[in-house]
Amino acid sequence: MLLSPKGASRSLAAVFTPIKSRGLVDEVCSRIEQAVETGLLTSGQRLPNETELAAALGVSAVTAREALSQLRASGIIRTARGRSGGSFIADNVLPSRERALAQLHELSRLQIRDLALHYQAIAAACAGVAARRSDAADIATLRSFIPAADDDPLNWRLALSEFLLEVAAIARSARLARELIRLQADLGTLTLLPCADSGYRVRTSVILEEVATAIEAHEPVAAEAAVKALIAATADWLLTEQAKRY
Amino acid sequence: MSETSSTAGPSAGTAEPGPAGKTAEQAAAELDAAIAGIEHRLAAWAAETGAALAAMSGRVTGTAVDKLIRPVVEELVQLPDGYAAGAGFIANAGLLGPERSYIAWWQGPDLEPVDALANFSPNSISRYVKAEWFRIPVETGRAHVTGPYVDFLCTDEYVLTFTHPVFTRPDGPVAGIVGIDVTVQRLERGAMPALRRIGARATLANADGRAVVSAASDIDAGDLAAPDEPCRHYPVGRTFTVWSAAVGL
Repeated sequence: MLLSPKGASRSLAAVFTPIKSRGLVDEVCSRIEQAVETGLLTSGQRLPNETELAAALGVSAVTAREALSQLRASGIIRTARGRSGGSFIADNVLPSRERALAQLHELSRLQIRDLALHYQAIAAACAGVAARRSDAADIATLRSFIPAADDDPLNWRLALSEFLLEVAAIARSARLARELIRLQADLGTLTLLPCADSGYRVRTSVILEEVATAIEAHEPVAAEAAVKALIAATADWLLTEQAKRY
Repeated sequence: MSETSSTAGPSAGTAEPGPAGKTAEQAAAELDAAIAGIEHRLAAWAAETGAALAAMSGRVTGTAVDKLIRPVVEELVQLPDGYAAGAGFIANAGLLGPERSYIAWWQGPDLEPVDALANFSPNSISRYVKAEWFRIPVETGRAHVTGPYVDFLCTDEYVLTFTHPVFTRPDGPVAGIVGIDVTVQRLERGAMPALRRIGARATLANADGRAVVSAASDIDAGDLAAPDEPCRHYPVGRTFTVWSAAVGL
C-alpha cells in the first residue's frame, strides 16, 4: 500500500466517514412534509391511499404504510374512518411561528453563522454568473418574484427562496442550483420568522431590487455583493432574535 | 449522432464551399437530422396521444393516461441512440376536470416517476401554467423548445425540453402537452464530433443566440454568443442554428 502524501490524512478521513443512509420511509415522509411546506399539499386535503402513494413514489406498499403512520404520529396527517375516510393533511400543519422559533433555539450561534456563510458562498457564485448570462426575459421573471412589502409572511418566505432559485436558474448551473435548494431545505421554516417583521421586509425589498438591477446591468461584483447583503440581513435578524434566549 | 443525412444546407454563407465546406455541410446535416428526428417523433406522438384521448370521449382518468403514455416513454428513454432523458404528458386544466392537472412523466432508464405527488394536489396546474415549456405550446398551439435551462421540476439537470401541444379535436382547446427532456450533456457527446468538423469555433445555438454546445473552449453552454465573421449559418431542426464560427458575448 502506498503511503499517503503529507497532508492527505484529512481527505482520507473524509473517504472513510461512515455513510448515513436515510431510510426510504423517512424519504417518503420528507417528500410529503416538503410538499406541505411549499403549499403543494394543503390543510384538509385528502392524501392518496397506501396503494396509490406506493405506485406514485415507486416504493413498496409496506414503505408507504409505514410512512403514513410516521406522518400521523408527527401530526402532519390525520386519519378518518368510514365511507369518507382516508388520510388528510392536518388542519394546523402550516409552518408555524412556534415551530420555527423552536428550531431557531435549537441552533447555536455558530451553526447559524456557518449556514449563512455557506449560503452566501453559493448564492453569490450564482449571482456572479447570472450577471454574465442574463437576458431581458430572465430579468422580467426575476423581478416578478419581488414581493410587495405588505405581502403576508408566508408569501414573502416563498418569494425570497424562489427569487434566489431564479438567480440560480439565470446562472444556468445545475450543481449550484442543487446546492442552493439543499441549503434552503437546511434553513427550513427559519426564514418564516424575519418575514413576519415589516422592517426586515422593507430592508430586503430594497436589496432584492439591487440584485435585479446589478444582474440586469451585467455587473457581477455588484450582484454578488447585493446577494451577500440579502443573506446577511436574514442571518443578522436570526442572530438578534436568537440572542433573546439568553 | 444519427448517420442519416438530410438535404438541409447552409442558409447563408460567406466561406468558399470547397471540400472542407462540403464536410461541414455533411456534419451540419447530421446535426439537423438528429434534432429534427426528436421533433418529428414528438409531433407524431402528440397526434397519436390526441387521437387516443379523443377516443376516450370525455372520460379521461389518470390511470388511463398513465396506460397510454408510459409505454411510449419507456420506448423513448430506452432507445439505444435516443436522446430522451425523460418524457411524458401533462394535461391542461379541463381534460381530467376543471383546474385539475395530471402529470404522466417519467425519467431515466428505470422510469422514475416525476412530480407524481403533484397529481394529488388540487392546485398542481399552477406549477405548470407559467413554465415556458408548458405555456408556449398551450398559448400558440405550436411546438416549442425551452432551454438550455436548469430543470428544477424534473431532472435538476441542464436540459432542453421539446414540447408539443396535444389536441383532441382540430379546432379544440389544447388538451395538454407531450414533451421530451434532452440533457445538454448528452447533446454535447453527440454533437461535438460534428461541430469539430464544421470548425474549431463552431457553435450550436438556440433561437435566443444562447450556446447549447460549442467547439470553442471559451464558450460554455448557456453563454450568450454571436456569429463571428466570416461565418456560415446552418439551420438545425426548427429553431437551432450552427454557426461555423462564434464569439462569446
